[in-house]
Amino acid sequence: MSPPAGTAVEGPVRAYLDRIAAGLHGPRRQRERILAELHDGLTQAIADRAARGEPGAHATAGAIAEFGRPEAVAAAFAGELATGFARRTLITYVATGPLVGIWWLLLLRPDPWHTGPAALLAAIPILPLIIVTLVAASGALATTGRLMRWLPEAGPRRALAATLTVAGLTAAGDLLIVGATARAGALVGPLAVIAVGAGLARLGYGVGTLIRAVGLLTRPA
Amino acid sequence: MVAMRPELLKGHLDALLLAVLEPGPRHGYAVIESLRAGSDGTLDLPTGTVYPALHRLERAGLIGSDWETVGGRRRRTYHLTGAGRAALGEHRALWDEFSAAVTALLGGTRPAPA
Repeated sequence: MSPPAGTAVEGPVRAYLDRIAAGLHGPRRQRERILAELHDGLTQAIADRAARGEPGAHATAGAIAEFGRPEAVAAAFAGELATGFARRTLITYVATGPLVGIWWLLLLRPDPWHTGPAALLAAIPILPLIIVTLVAASGALATTGRLMRWLPEAGPRRALAATLTVAGLTAAGDLLIVGATARAGALVGPLAVIAVGAGLARLGYGVGTLIRAVGLLTRPA
Repeated sequence: MVAMRPELLKGHLDALLLAVLEPGPRHGYAVIESLRAGSDGTLDLPTGTVYPALHRLERAGLIGSDWETVGGRRRRTYHLTGAGRAALGEHRALWDEFSAAVTALLGGTRPAPA
Protein backbone atom coordinates (compact mmCIF):
# COMPACT_ATOMS: atom_id res chain seq x y z
CA MET A 1 0.00 0.00 0.00
CA SER A 2 1.33 3.42 -0.94
CA PRO A 3 1.30 6.52 1.26
CA PRO A 4 -1.91 8.56 1.30
CA ALA A 5 -3.18 9.30 -2.19
CA GLY A 6 -3.67 12.83 -3.37
CA THR A 7 -0.86 14.24 -1.32
CA ALA A 8 2.63 15.27 -2.37
CA VAL A 9 4.90 12.96 -0.41
CA GLU A 10 8.57 13.77 -0.76
CA GLY A 11 11.25 11.17 -1.47
CA PRO A 12 12.60 10.23 1.98
CA VAL A 13 9.18 10.53 3.62
CA ARG A 14 7.61 8.41 0.87
CA ALA A 15 10.34 5.77 1.23
CA TYR A 16 9.86 5.74 5.01
CA LEU A 17 6.07 5.41 4.76
CA ASP A 18 6.45 2.71 2.09
CA ARG A 19 8.57 0.66 4.48
CA ILE A 20 5.98 1.07 7.23
CA ALA A 21 3.19 0.17 4.80
CA ALA A 22 5.01 -3.06 3.91
CA GLY A 23 4.88 -4.09 7.57
CA LEU A 24 1.20 -3.32 8.18
CA HIS A 25 -1.19 -6.27 7.92
CA GLY A 26 -4.90 -5.97 8.54
CA PRO A 27 -8.00 -4.19 7.23
CA ARG A 28 -7.15 -1.96 4.27
CA ARG A 29 -9.07 1.10 5.52
CA GLN A 30 -7.41 0.92 8.91
CA ARG A 31 -3.97 0.69 7.28
CA GLU A 32 -4.75 3.69 5.07
CA ARG A 33 -5.79 5.73 8.11
CA ILE A 34 -2.62 4.79 9.98
CA LEU A 35 -0.46 5.86 7.04
CA ALA A 36 -2.38 9.11 6.60
CA GLU A 37 -1.96 9.87 10.29
CA LEU A 38 1.77 9.08 10.27
CA HIS A 39 2.24 11.15 7.14
CA ASP A 40 0.59 14.12 8.80
CA GLY A 41 2.61 13.68 12.00
CA LEU A 42 5.86 13.34 10.09
CA THR A 43 5.11 16.41 7.96
CA GLN A 44 4.33 18.38 11.11
CA ALA A 45 7.54 17.19 12.76
CA ILE A 46 9.56 18.29 9.72
CA ALA A 47 7.79 21.68 9.69
CA ASP A 48 8.49 22.16 13.42
CA ARG A 49 12.17 21.39 12.92
CA ALA A 50 12.38 23.71 9.93
CA ALA A 51 10.74 26.47 11.98
CA ARG A 52 13.47 26.01 14.59
CA GLY A 53 16.03 26.70 11.88
CA GLU A 54 17.08 23.22 10.79
CA PRO A 55 17.95 22.98 7.08
CA GLY A 56 15.46 21.01 4.93
CA ALA A 57 17.34 17.72 4.59
CA HIS A 58 18.37 17.73 8.25
CA ALA A 59 14.82 18.47 9.35
CA THR A 60 13.49 15.55 7.30
CA ALA A 61 16.18 13.13 8.46
CA GLY A 62 15.74 14.24 12.07
CA ALA A 63 11.95 13.83 11.99
CA ILE A 64 12.25 10.36 10.41
CA ALA A 65 14.79 9.33 13.07
CA GLU A 66 12.47 10.71 15.75
CA PHE A 67 9.59 8.55 14.49
CA GLY A 68 11.71 5.41 14.78
CA ARG A 69 12.62 2.41 12.65
CA PRO A 70 9.81 1.71 10.16
CA GLU A 71 9.76 -1.98 11.08
CA ALA A 72 9.31 -1.10 14.76
CA VAL A 73 6.57 1.45 14.01
CA ALA A 74 4.70 -1.06 11.82
CA ALA A 75 5.06 -3.79 14.46
CA ALA A 76 3.64 -1.46 17.11
CA PHE A 77 0.37 -1.29 15.14
CA ALA A 78 0.06 -5.09 14.77
CA GLY A 79 -2.15 -5.45 17.85
CA GLU A 80 -4.56 -2.70 16.84
CA LEU A 81 -4.76 -4.04 13.29
CA ALA A 82 -5.43 -7.59 14.51
CA THR A 83 -8.12 -6.33 16.88
CA GLY A 84 -9.61 -4.20 14.10
CA PHE A 85 -9.75 -7.24 11.82
CA ALA A 86 -11.35 -9.34 14.57
CA ARG A 87 -13.99 -6.73 15.37
CA ARG A 88 -14.86 -6.09 11.72
CA THR A 89 -15.22 -9.82 11.05
CA LEU A 90 -17.32 -10.46 14.16
CA ILE A 91 -19.62 -7.53 13.31
CA THR A 92 -20.03 -8.96 9.80
CA TYR A 93 -21.02 -12.35 11.25
CA VAL A 94 -23.48 -10.83 13.73
CA ALA A 95 -24.99 -8.47 11.14
CA THR A 96 -25.33 -11.03 8.35
CA GLY A 97 -26.44 -13.91 10.60
CA PRO A 98 -30.14 -13.02 10.36
CA LEU A 99 -29.83 -12.62 6.56
CA VAL A 100 -28.78 -16.28 6.30
CA GLY A 101 -30.88 -17.57 9.18
CA ILE A 102 -34.17 -16.12 7.92
CA TRP A 103 -34.15 -18.43 4.88
CA TRP A 104 -33.51 -21.52 7.00
CA LEU A 105 -36.22 -20.41 9.41
CA LEU A 106 -38.71 -20.02 6.56
CA LEU A 107 -37.67 -23.38 5.12
CA LEU A 108 -37.66 -25.37 8.36
CA ARG A 109 -40.21 -23.50 10.48
CA PRO A 110 -42.15 -25.84 12.75
CA ASP A 111 -45.72 -26.80 12.09
CA PRO A 112 -47.99 -23.92 13.28
CA TRP A 113 -49.75 -26.44 15.55
CA HIS A 114 -46.50 -27.30 17.30
CA THR A 115 -45.21 -24.11 18.82
CA GLY A 116 -42.75 -23.40 21.62
CA PRO A 117 -39.01 -23.80 22.10
CA ALA A 118 -39.08 -27.63 21.87
CA ALA A 119 -40.77 -27.58 18.46
CA LEU A 120 -38.37 -24.89 17.22
CA LEU A 121 -35.38 -26.90 18.45
CA ALA A 122 -36.70 -30.05 16.76
CA ALA A 123 -37.14 -28.14 13.48
CA ILE A 124 -33.81 -26.28 13.68
CA PRO A 125 -31.46 -28.49 15.75
CA ILE A 126 -28.49 -26.14 15.41
CA LEU A 127 -30.18 -23.46 17.54
CA PRO A 128 -27.91 -24.11 20.58
CA LEU A 129 -24.89 -23.74 18.29
CA ILE A 130 -26.24 -20.41 17.04
CA ILE A 131 -26.71 -19.19 20.62
CA VAL A 132 -23.17 -20.24 21.63
CA THR A 133 -21.77 -18.50 18.52
CA LEU A 134 -23.69 -15.31 19.28
CA VAL A 135 -22.49 -15.31 22.88
CA ALA A 136 -18.86 -15.80 21.76
CA ALA A 137 -19.11 -13.01 19.18
CA SER A 138 -20.87 -10.61 21.56
CA GLY A 139 -18.35 -11.33 24.32
CA ALA A 140 -15.38 -10.63 22.04
CA LEU A 141 -16.97 -7.44 20.71
CA ALA A 142 -17.77 -6.24 24.22
CA THR A 143 -14.27 -6.86 25.59
CA THR A 144 -12.54 -5.17 22.64
CA GLY A 145 -14.93 -2.20 22.45
CA ARG A 146 -16.57 0.31 24.73
CA LEU A 147 -17.43 -2.23 27.40
CA MET A 148 -13.74 -2.94 28.03
CA ARG A 149 -13.88 -0.05 30.48
CA TRP A 150 -15.79 -2.37 32.81
CA LEU A 151 -14.94 -5.86 31.52
CA PRO A 152 -11.50 -7.47 31.31
CA GLU A 153 -9.97 -6.30 28.03
CA ALA A 154 -9.35 -8.96 25.39
CA GLY A 155 -5.94 -8.66 23.75
CA PRO A 156 -5.41 -9.10 20.01
CA ARG A 157 -4.65 -12.83 20.26
CA ARG A 158 -7.79 -13.50 22.27
CA ALA A 159 -9.85 -11.42 19.83
CA LEU A 160 -8.43 -13.41 16.91
CA ALA A 161 -9.07 -16.70 18.75
CA ALA A 162 -12.68 -15.65 19.33
CA THR A 163 -12.99 -14.78 15.63
CA LEU A 164 -11.67 -18.21 14.65
CA THR A 165 -14.11 -19.83 17.10
CA VAL A 166 -17.07 -17.90 15.67
CA ALA A 167 -16.01 -18.68 12.08
CA GLY A 168 -15.59 -22.36 12.95
CA LEU A 169 -18.91 -22.65 14.78
CA THR A 170 -20.74 -20.83 11.99
CA ALA A 171 -19.20 -23.10 9.35
CA ALA A 172 -20.11 -26.16 11.43
CA GLY A 173 -23.68 -24.88 11.78
CA ASP A 174 -24.02 -24.20 8.06
CA LEU A 175 -22.65 -27.64 7.13
CA LEU A 176 -24.81 -29.42 9.71
CA ILE A 177 -28.03 -27.75 8.64
CA VAL A 178 -27.37 -28.31 4.94
CA GLY A 179 -26.49 -31.95 5.61
CA ALA A 180 -29.46 -32.62 7.90
CA THR A 181 -31.92 -30.94 5.54
CA ALA A 182 -30.53 -32.81 2.54
CA ARG A 183 -30.80 -36.13 4.39
CA ALA A 184 -34.41 -35.33 5.26
CA GLY A 185 -35.07 -34.67 1.57
CA ALA A 186 -36.25 -31.14 2.33
CA LEU A 187 -33.86 -29.33 0.00
CA VAL A 188 -36.45 -28.63 -2.67
CA GLY A 189 -37.84 -25.41 -4.10
CA PRO A 190 -36.49 -21.88 -4.49
CA LEU A 191 -36.40 -21.28 -0.73
CA ALA A 192 -33.98 -24.18 -0.30
CA VAL A 193 -31.79 -22.86 -3.13
CA ILE A 194 -31.60 -19.42 -1.48
CA ALA A 195 -30.93 -20.90 1.99
CA VAL A 196 -28.15 -23.19 0.71
CA GLY A 197 -26.71 -20.36 -1.41
CA ALA A 198 -26.61 -18.02 1.60
CA GLY A 199 -25.01 -20.74 3.73
CA LEU A 200 -22.38 -21.48 1.08
CA ALA A 201 -21.58 -17.79 0.68
CA ARG A 202 -21.00 -17.57 4.42
CA LEU A 203 -18.85 -20.69 4.29
CA GLY A 204 -16.69 -18.98 1.65
CA TYR A 205 -16.37 -15.92 3.88
CA GLY A 206 -15.47 -18.25 6.75
CA VAL A 207 -12.62 -19.82 4.76
CA GLY A 208 -11.25 -16.35 3.93
CA THR A 209 -11.55 -15.36 7.59
CA LEU A 210 -9.72 -18.50 8.67
CA ILE A 211 -6.80 -17.83 6.31
CA ARG A 212 -6.46 -14.18 7.32
CA ALA A 213 -6.85 -14.81 11.07
CA VAL A 214 -4.28 -17.62 11.07
CA GLY A 215 -1.96 -15.37 9.05
CA LEU A 216 -2.26 -12.59 11.66
CA LEU A 217 -1.88 -15.04 14.55
CA THR A 218 1.24 -16.69 13.19
CA ARG A 219 2.94 -13.53 11.94
CA PRO A 220 6.10 -12.89 13.94
CA ALA A 221 5.87 -9.77 16.11
CA MET B 1 17.85 14.12 31.76
CA VAL B 2 16.98 10.47 31.07
CA ALA B 3 14.00 9.73 28.80
CA MET B 4 11.57 7.37 30.52
CA ARG B 5 11.22 3.90 29.04
CA PRO B 6 7.69 3.16 27.76
CA GLU B 7 7.43 -0.01 29.87
CA LEU B 8 7.80 2.09 33.05
CA LEU B 9 4.63 3.91 32.06
CA LYS B 10 2.57 0.73 31.82
CA GLY B 11 -0.74 1.38 33.52
CA HIS B 12 -0.30 5.17 33.41
CA LEU B 13 -0.15 5.84 29.68
CA ASP B 14 -3.95 5.96 29.31
CA ALA B 15 -4.20 8.59 32.05
CA LEU B 16 -1.36 10.66 30.56
CA LEU B 17 -2.96 10.67 27.11
CA LEU B 18 -6.34 11.61 28.55
CA ALA B 19 -4.73 14.40 30.57
CA VAL B 20 -2.97 15.79 27.50
CA LEU B 21 -6.29 15.93 25.66
CA GLU B 22 -8.13 17.55 28.56
CA PRO B 23 -7.42 21.18 27.55
CA GLY B 24 -8.66 20.59 24.00
CA PRO B 25 -8.41 18.50 20.82
CA ARG B 26 -4.95 17.58 19.49
CA HIS B 27 -3.58 15.57 16.60
CA GLY B 28 -1.30 12.59 17.23
CA TYR B 29 2.02 14.36 16.85
CA ALA B 30 0.81 17.26 19.00
CA VAL B 31 -0.01 14.70 21.71
CA ILE B 32 3.57 13.39 21.55
CA GLU B 33 4.89 16.96 21.72
CA SER B 34 2.60 17.83 24.65
CA LEU B 35 3.81 14.80 26.61
CA ARG B 36 7.40 15.81 25.92
CA ALA B 37 6.90 19.50 26.72
CA GLY B 38 4.65 18.91 29.73
CA SER B 39 7.24 16.65 31.35
CA ASP B 40 10.32 18.74 30.47
CA GLY B 41 11.45 16.02 28.11
CA THR B 42 11.13 13.10 30.54
CA LEU B 43 8.20 11.56 28.68
CA ASP B 44 9.73 11.32 25.21
CA LEU B 45 7.57 8.49 23.95
CA PRO B 46 8.03 6.85 20.57
CA THR B 47 5.48 7.08 17.78
CA GLY B 48 4.86 3.34 18.05
CA THR B 49 3.71 3.77 21.65
CA VAL B 50 1.51 6.83 21.38
CA TYR B 51 -0.47 6.31 18.14
CA PRO B 52 -1.63 2.72 18.88
CA ALA B 53 -2.51 3.78 22.45
CA LEU B 54 -4.68 6.59 21.07
CA HIS B 55 -6.43 4.13 18.76
CA ARG B 56 -7.07 1.77 21.69
CA LEU B 57 -8.53 4.62 23.78
CA GLU B 58 -10.83 5.50 20.91
CA ARG B 59 -11.96 1.87 20.71
CA ALA B 60 -12.78 2.07 24.41
CA GLY B 61 -14.85 5.20 23.81
CA LEU B 62 -12.67 7.36 26.06
CA ILE B 63 -11.61 9.62 23.21
CA GLY B 64 -13.09 10.40 19.80
CA SER B 65 -11.45 11.56 16.59
CA ASP B 66 -12.28 13.74 13.59
CA TRP B 67 -10.58 13.99 10.22
CA GLU B 68 -9.90 17.31 8.58
CA THR B 69 -7.72 18.52 5.72
CA VAL B 70 -4.76 20.69 6.65
CA GLY B 71 -2.29 21.91 4.05
CA GLY B 72 -3.59 19.36 1.54
CA ARG B 73 -3.11 16.38 3.84
CA ARG B 74 -5.54 14.49 6.06
CA ARG B 75 -5.25 15.14 9.78
CA ARG B 76 -6.85 13.14 12.56
CA THR B 77 -7.64 15.17 15.66
CA TYR B 78 -8.48 13.51 18.97
CA HIS B 79 -10.78 14.85 21.67
CA LEU B 80 -11.84 13.69 25.09
CA THR B 81 -15.34 12.17 25.41
CA GLY B 82 -17.56 12.41 28.48
CA ALA B 83 -16.53 8.87 29.43
CA GLY B 84 -12.89 9.87 28.97
CA ARG B 85 -13.30 12.86 31.27
CA ALA B 86 -14.83 10.61 33.93
CA ALA B 87 -12.05 8.04 33.48
CA LEU B 88 -9.44 10.78 33.84
CA GLY B 89 -11.01 11.79 37.15
CA GLU B 90 -10.81 8.18 38.36
CA HIS B 91 -7.18 7.90 37.21
CA ARG B 92 -6.31 11.09 39.09
CA ALA B 93 -7.89 9.85 42.32
CA LEU B 94 -6.05 6.53 42.02
CA TRP B 95 -2.78 8.28 41.23
CA ASP B 96 -3.09 10.56 44.26
CA GLU B 97 -3.55 7.53 46.49
CA PHE B 98 -0.80 5.51 44.79
CA SER B 99 1.78 8.29 44.66
CA ALA B 100 1.16 9.23 48.31
CA ALA B 101 1.75 5.61 49.34
CA VAL B 102 4.89 5.21 47.20
CA THR B 103 6.30 8.58 48.31
CA ALA B 104 5.72 7.61 51.94
CA LEU B 105 7.78 4.47 51.41
CA LEU B 106 10.47 5.68 49.01
CA GLY B 107 10.78 9.36 49.65
CA GLY B 108 10.80 9.49 53.45
CA THR B 109 13.60 9.03 55.94
CA ARG B 110 15.32 5.66 56.05
CA PRO B 111 14.27 3.48 58.96
CA ALA B 112 16.70 3.40 61.85
CA PRO B 113 18.71 0.18 62.09
CA ALA B 114 17.33 -2.32 64.59
